Amino acid sequence: MADHDSAVTHHEEHHEAHGTGFYWQVGGVLAVVTAAEVAAFVYRDLFGHVTFLTLLFILMFAKGIGVVLYFMHLRGDARIFQFVFIVPFTFAVSMVLGFLVLFSHHVGIAG
Amino acid sequence: MSSSAGQAHHGEAHQKPLVGSMGVDSRKLGLWAFIGSETLFFATLIVTHLIFYARTSNTLSSVGALELLDPRLGYLAIELTTVLATLLLASSLTMVLALAASKARDWKRFRIWQLATILLGASFVGGQIYEFIHLYHEGLKLAPAFEMHLSHEAHKALTALNLDPSIVRLKEAGEHATALVPSLFGVTFFVMTGFHGLHVTIGIIWLIAIYVKVSRFPESPENPMDIELGGLYWHFVDLVWVAIFTLIYLI
Repeated sequence: MADHDSAVTHHEEHHEAHGTGFYWQVGGVLAVVTAAEVAAFVYRDLFGHVTFLTLLFILMFAKGIGVVLYFMHLRGDARIFQFVFIVPFTFAVSMVLGFLVLFSHHVGIAG
Repeated sequence: MSSSAGQAHHGEAHQKPLVGSMGVDSRKLGLWAFIGSETLFFATLIVTHLIFYARTSNTLSSVGALELLDPRLGYLAIELTTVLATLLLASSLTMVLALAASKARDWKRFRIWQLATILLGASFVGGQIYEFIHLYHEGLKLAPAFEMHLSHEAHKALTALNLDPSIVRLKEAGEHATALVPSLFGVTFFVMTGFHGLHVTIGIIWLIAIYVKVSRFPESPENPMDIELGGLYWHFVDLVWVAIFTLIYLI
């Protein structure tokens, strides 16, 4: 049992390996991504609508993944935590995308 | 001496994680499950808002009035929200630095980073309150219609369209012209961003409680896990704003 607890503690604290310099780097990258999002919005007329949407979705997911993996330490954490978060997250993304498609052009129950 | 040894032993007894049948700390598992459910909660609020925006913009587009009355272009300027997004992102960084300091048992640095996180969070809430007050005075209310102030040129252009009053109702009183557009755009906006602001406020209270507890009992072996749980919640509210900022303000 003691070995089991020790393994759990070791597994859950795997993320301790990152130094503060690493977190500053992640923060810097996330700040750059935010600046890129705002720049894409300001210069949105330069892109087609689909390109603009795709670009913003990619940047949004990049930011979200950075926060979840490195600030919330989901990377390297116990698999059950990943499961408990990723499953509802997948449902949520599917729901948002599904409803946006359903309601985008006066189709379905949008009337 | 024996008292200290007793306290140390007592501390070791608490130092073990509360391992449940899943083989992980039960408090952390519970918080991740809560975050998972909150993800669905906020996704529902976001998609509801997007649907009402899409319906409103489709209606206004069909009568040729979208360019003049797009509720997002009319209300949601991104200057302030970019600052708010930066504040919350910075608070996520200071939070993870506070956690790293606590794991290194550097309580002085922990207090600095934790206090910075609290102040950045409070600044975010202050900015959101300012935004709400500004939007309310602009005509966006917690009501099933939003009112937009119009320039004379826009008022003339809309009058020429001879719009159905059930879609857009124009009003002119002296030098002021307005258009009233039935839509739940305002309701869904305030409910969604208001709930997020409430979560941030709860997070600030949580972080203050951790700060006080750690300051009073710096040797408590429970401190790192307490800080990690508070930090997880705090990063989640940042994560929600990442989605709101892009989906509501930019797209």
